[in-house]
Amino acid sequence: MYLVDLRDIYFKYLGDEDYALKGVTLTARPGEFILLAGPSGCGKSTLLRVLNGLVPHFYEGEFKGEAYVAGLDVRSTPTYALAKHVGMVFQDPENQLFLSSVEREIAFSLENLGLSRNEIKKRVNEVLEIFGLEHIRHRAPYELSGGQQQKVALATVMALEPQILALDEPTANLDPLSALEVLTLVHGLVKKKGILAIVVEHRLEIALRFATRMLVMNKGHIVADGKPEAILPQVRHLIGYPPVVIAHLLLSRKGLAGDGIPLTPEDLAAKIIEVVKWRR
Amino acid sequence: MTALGSVLDIFKYRRKETFLHSLDPRSKFLLLVVLSVASLALNDVFSLLLLLTIEIVLLAISKSLNEWIRSLRGLAMLLLMIFILNFLTLPSGRLFTSITMVLRFVCLTSAFSIFFLTTTADELANALEVSGVPREYSMMFTMSLRFVPSLAKDLQTVIDALRSRGLELEGGRIKERIKNYTHLLVPLIVYELRRSLMVAEALEARGFGAVKKVKPYVELRLRRRDYSIIFISLAGLFMLLWFILSGRYAMFTSAVRYLFPEF
Repeated sequence: MYLVDLRDIYFKYLGDEDYALKGVTLTARPGEFILLAGPSGCGKSTLLRVLNGLVPHFYEGEFKGEAYVAGLDVRSTPTYALAKHVGMVFQDPENQLFLSSVEREIAFSLENLGLSRNEIKKRVNEVLEIFGLEHIRHRAPYELSGGQQQKVALATVMALEPQILALDEPTANLDPLSALEVLTLVHGLVKKKGILAIVVEHRLEIALRFATRMLVMNKGHIVADGKPEAILPQVRHLIGYPPVVIAHLLLSRKGLAGDGIPLTPEDLAAKIIEVVKWRR
Repeated sequence: MTALGSVLDIFKYRRKETFLHSLDPRSKFLLLVVLSVASLALNDVFSLLLLLTIEIVLLAISKSLNEWIRSLRGLAMLLLMIFILNFLTLPSGRLFTSITMVLRFVCLTSAFSIFFLTTTADELANALEVSGVPREYSMMFTMSLRFVPSLAKDLQTVIDALRSRGLELEGGRIKERIKNYTHLLVPLIVYELRRSLMVAEALEARGFGAVKKVKPYVELRLRRRDYSIIFISLAGLFMLLWFILSGRYAMFTSAVRYLFPEF
């Protein structure tokens, strides 16, 4: 069974002229790390919002099509019920963290579900350990660095033990190293827990290495879907090439690198070594 | 802006390990109520000085004297204004009453700062929830405190953006200024509306509102130290009431006036 099963979804925000989603069909399974890319305003965020029911419950508008997430019908399940299955993290940590300590921040999500105090304590401690946040459990979120804040934001939704993680540009406010750290963490969760991660990300050079599948959207449609290596050339006009791919292109034209698109500098290095070795 | 900032500092929580920080917010709230009642009920220099001494001891216990002194410096202008206005408008007993007014203001502010310097917004919200206030309302309270610094930051961003486009906010005639402030307010309101939408989304995504009755993670428990503070506060309150209602306080103040006729 699919964890996410969207069938021909159309959605128009109240007061908008045009549809934000135009016939989106998407299925996804546990263990996938899906990179969702596309130009601004292409419907990426709207698609994520369908996953936890913010569309059509929080944002009103015209919704057509069938949407099932974790076996629940999105159209008739409220967001707080979907929140148990879909952990959503947004761009700006400042708007997601409200309380005076990391520990309470994580407990807040669990309190909302009405769990018992012992259960909350147990899960808070587990999550703090998994995310390596024990040393800052009593610190206030606003005292932390952006990367740490975003980790805390991840931790608060992971405490609900969702099967799906939906991240809307989680690294937009972070420096490259923190961005890599946060995405590595997400990748680890996908590997270890077998969850499904859907990540909207503009920084391809950081995100590509983790992606098992890539989706590209444009003007409300999904225009490409597949292995990143396979679809990158098709969507170059929309999202461009990451620097490593451009470097490879230049080198391979001169016969200095092997075929196939590299997703990381390490890949590229391997492709160069391949050719150089063969020449000797 | 900086003067205002340092004044508001007097109400900003700081994490410290002290007796007062470790108290239950409810017992601290009772202490706040009693200290405020006392500052409003007493109206002579000597008893207010006694009250201020008690508050200074409490601030020392909570290791917050430095913050308090710094904020008082920021308040200096306001205190001076209170003094001068009283002094110029009162018919008689001018010096005495003016000093009393200033002291009362200091006592009242200090009472609140003792509470807010040692109590976090979520502790307070927690106490509200335990007292039967619905979670939506206690959350509203936490949020309004939480987003004050964000609002200040946004305001600065808009001001900077306007300045970089050549709009001078200060100076000019009144009409000019009012017009300029609308340039400031409109983007700020739009900004904050968008922010509130994002916050609401994040709350939804974390299951806010899934159940009506939640069990707070941190259990509020009155310990022996809380009971001792509650006892002392109530005892102080009753002593104060007895002192005033029995007419002894009136006798005391007239004795003071008699001893210091030049005031």
